[in-house]
Amino acid sequence: MSEQPLRPTNTGPGRILIAVYGIFALAACARAGVQVATKFAEAPLAYLLSAAAGVIYIVATVTLGRGSRTSWRVALVAILIEAVGVLCVGTASLVDPAAFPKATVWSAYGIGYGFVPLVLPFLGLAWLIKTRPR
Amino acid sequence: MSVCQVQAPTQVPLGLVIGWLAYTVVTLAGVAMIWGLITAIANKPPGKAQLLFAAFLEIVVVVQSLIAAVYLLLGFRPAELATTIGYLIGIVILIPVAWLWANSERTRFSGVVLAVAALAVLGMTLRLLELWIPPLLR
Repeated sequence: MSEQPLRPTNTGPGRILIAVYGIFALAACARAGVQVATKFAEAPLAYLLSAAAGVIYIVATVTLGRGSRTSWRVALVAILIEAVGVLCVGTASLVDPAAFPKATVWSAYGIGYGFVPLVLPFLGLAWLIKTRPR
Repeated sequence: MSVCQVQAPTQVPLGLVIGWLAYTVVTLAGVAMIWGLITAIANKPPGKAQLLFAAFLEIVVVVQSLIAAVYLLLGFRPAELATTIGYLIGIVILIPVAWLWANSERTRFSGVVLAVAALAVLGMTLRLLELWIPPLLR
């Protein structure tokens, strides 16, 4: 019984969060796949960041969806990396646009996706705090 | 350039068919999104009519992807071919996965899950339209 968090991450409003993470996992991976396959040489850093974002979104989707004690911890790490990633890439893409000639999901804090990539990790962290295992 | 010249006359009617279909998808997805939000506000899980409507939306989305695939096979080239193919495949997956996810725990939040997927379908269709029809032909 002590293996389960008080409130699993995969119930209630958490299911909306998982759906959004799933869509971004699909979006970032598809985008990275297309870019790496067709124009990787143009901007390798931007495309690798797209791919990294895709992997983080997949990990967050799966771990939030599992709702176990271990998956809670992995989700926390993934979403912390995501928060740092969107803030760093978002800032870097504005400060040094030349280094990011091609858009990633996190460019300009996710402006191409209605800034959802900027808000998402903080909603994720809020949900993890609410569902933390005791 | 010669390839472009040969294809130019066929681009207008093809674009118009896709445009008409895309706006249908956008409208249906918009309705599905609002419907999902309404049931969530009403604190109800999605009803049978709502789920059938989502299935209908999916059918139109599949038809859209199939027709677009035929055009691509016939040699039509949108602004970005690889991105377009990615969107045409990705857009088909959204509603079925959201449908299963919404139904595996039926609460008010199921409606929001359907609404989120519908919004993604709506956004992707607008982006597809942008990639598909050069602004000059719209």
